[in-house]
Amino acid sequence: MSPASSRLAGPQLFAGYLDPRRPHAGAYDEMFDPVDGVRTAYKRLHDSLEPLQPADLTTRAEALDRALVDQGITFSLSGQERPFPLDLVPRVITASEWSRLERGIVQRVRALEAFLADIYGEQQIVADGVLPRRLITSCEHFHRQAAGIAPPNGVRIHVAGIDVVRDEQGDFRVLEDNLRSPSGVSYVMENRRTMARVFPDLFAKHRVRAVGDYAVHLLRALRAAAPPGATDPNVVVLTPGVYNSAYFEHSLLARQMGVELVEGRDLFARNNVIYLRTTEGEQRVDVIYRRIDDEFLDPVQFEPDSVLGVAGLVNAARAGNVVIANAIGNGVGDDKLVYTYLPEILKYYLGETPLLPNVDTFRCWLPAEQAEVLDRLDELVTKPVEGSGGYGIVFGPDASPKELAAQRRRIRANPRGWIAQPVVQLSTVPTKVGERLQPRHVDLRPFAVNDGDSVFVLPGGLTRVAIPEGSLIVNSSQGGGSKDTWVLAQRASGEDAELRGRGLGAVKSDEASTPEQGPELNLAQQQQQQ
Amino acid sequence: MNWRLRVVHTTGYRYATAVTQSYNEARLTPRSDDRQNLMVSRLETVPAARGYRYTDYWGTEVNAFDLHTPHTELKVVAASVVETAEQPLPAVDATWSDVRAPESVDKYAEYLEWTTYVPKHRELGAVARSLRKGRTPQETVLVVSKWVHDTLKYQRGTTGVHSSAVDAWQAGEGVCQDYAHLTLAMLRAVGIPARYVSGYLHTKPDAAVGETVVGESHAWVEAWTGDWWGFDPTNDIPIAHRHVWVATGRDYGDVSPLKGIYSGGAATAIEVTVDMTRLA
Repeated sequence: MSPASSRLAGPQLFAGYLDPRRPHAGAYDEMFDPVDGVRTAYKRLHDSLEPLQPADLTTRAEALDRALVDQGITFSLSGQERPFPLDLVPRVITASEWSRLERGIVQRVRALEAFLADIYGEQQIVADGVLPRRLITSCEHFHRQAAGIAPPNGVRIHVAGIDVVRDEQGDFRVLEDNLRSPSGVSYVMENRRTMARVFPDLFAKHRVRAVGDYAVHLLRALRAAAPPGATDPNVVVLTPGVYNSAYFEHSLLARQMGVELVEGRDLFARNNVIYLRTTEGEQRVDVIYRRIDDEFLDPVQFEPDSVLGVAGLVNAARAGNVVIANAIGNGVGDDKLVYTYLPEILKYYLGETPLLPNVDTFRCWLPAEQAEVLDRLDELVTKPVEGSGGYGIVFGPDASPKELAAQRRRIRANPRGWIAQPVVQLSTVPTKVGERLQPRHVDLRPFAVNDGDSVFVLPGGLTRVAIPEGSLIVNSSQGGGSKDTWVLAQRASGEDAELRGRGLGAVKSDEASTPEQGPELNLAQQQQQQ
Repeated sequence: MNWRLRVVHTTGYRYATAVTQSYNEARLTPRSDDRQNLMVSRLETVPAARGYRYTDYWGTEVNAFDLHTPHTELKVVAASVVETAEQPLPAVDATWSDVRAPESVDKYAEYLEWTTYVPKHRELGAVARSLRKGRTPQETVLVVSKWVHDTLKYQRGTTGVHSSAVDAWQAGEGVCQDYAHLTLAMLRAVGIPARYVSGYLHTKPDAAVGETVVGESHAWVEAWTGDWWGFDPTNDIPIAHRHVWVATGRDYGDVSPLKGIYSGGAATAIEVTVDMTRLA
């Protein structure tokens, strides 16, 4: 054990935490600086944890499990299967770190909005020779059916989930954009609710920004997106149904927004207007927050066999009588090859350079870069440009020669379909493993909501954690877990000036009037939101 | 001298049991360009519906309509008057290196793509490459069209609406849709951007003014060899007064004249008639 870590870490819980022989020892640990000890953000949390005995940790973990089981009853009634276990150590992000991250996400969403508007409109960026036309036309999710559909308030990305990681220097980098139906925000809210029940003492010592009012922002954005004629817009949440893995989230959001949760068969189109069938007759629908993929949304335009969607929906949107959120065809903006052109896209539409850098990426469709990828396949991560959830990813260092050969063939057969990235040693956060706390790698999906006037980024997000030692794969299918993500409110009012937008630093005593800024203090308040 | 043509296209479906709901899109309106001028057009349905008109990604005029009263037959009548002219061979005859220049490949990428209707096929590609030898791109378009014309026998009933170029080629027969798809498959195999054209053909070259003839719902191709120009491989003839174009796309799927979904009994197509009258 290094002298530094023995000085920093408690004798038991953190024993061997910064062992230099651990896998990916170069990763940035979010709690411990190898030289200066506990980082400021984690000081109080560390102080609370350090005196604990392994038995205390186990007691707390059991309490957390019980709380999850309690909620699990509710979940199972709703058909929910909780995919990740919740770790008891929260992940902490300081106000200034968050402020930078938030600005970067807002910038990205604005640029991608402009990009999608252009791609489904005049395609000026192609005409100007900034992007090859083929980049767009070869996107699997470039939906020509959406060409010419102009949403009334211009918003196509009502909700974005921008996946970020922290590199070896601790800098946030964007790993991928999710502009279609990013899911996971329900875990953000549920994790917080559970943590607040089990660890009210930790919350009492921190100013953690609230995440419970996400639905308020979402509803505001959806109502703002409504067709101009709708004075009291009727918003619905469209779900594929109870068998969808995110059904719990769909029902939670509908409940919290106080709007109807509907399936395709509950809706129909007549003369390009969408109606909801209710016991009191037909009810006109203005905005559909849909959690159904484009391809199943309207059998007239897409899969004719699909019964999940609503026949005539796309033309109803084209006619301006209903708004589909997120818009059809957003996948062109989160294609992983398009992602590599984000700096050009930002420069073209905003005249800015990226506040949040991408992860360095090789494009297999460019012959020179493909040659390098094939040459270094055993040290790179190769990913399909389309798709999410970690499917199809080949992790060079872990792949057998046979797997690498197969991957080489796949890349050669379809260069447009693949990108490659160096292995990013994702940052680590202490995580309960057995009776100790061990560094485990994490990523972060913050959620951004665009109401047309401003882009709100929920202070927090879904932190996914890879449980097996040394694993850099955080996907739930790979045995990942999650962590409550704490964004700390600014303490000193003198720093307010640095912050943009909604007055992140304004710590007000009257928290009820500004719920998104108030510290989360106790269980009662959390439960009030149910 | 230009022709002026009136086109009256009647199409639709008959259903085994009453249909209570249907959603449809018609792509039946001729367009205008330098050899064709649309003067007037109208689309009617029985039962009557309130139509919604928009221009799709390919620039085609679409008439969308939905029906909510029980009906056992849907009839769609698209009528138009257009002026048509001959289309001479384009003066520009691009070289192979022009056609294959990165800018052309990027600009016309969609018309070089393989699709379900126009799949990549090793043997067809080899035939196309042998036909190309010693010819300019423009000459290749003509010789490929001639080859397709000579290879397929015009025969209804062998192929269907979902048949691909390869299906038709293997069957040795097909209809205009198949001729067009097969020509596209071969032109794309040698790197010539090529697109599907949906339209009408007046069947009597020497028709008198005022005479109504039985026309056809027709398909042909356009190729890019420095400029877009059309050719009719079904008849092995250039595009001229008798051709009225409606839509272009990568294949039939992009320009389908009437498509929709409905709830109810099995549908059969009603007899399609295309009446074409030379007005001037």
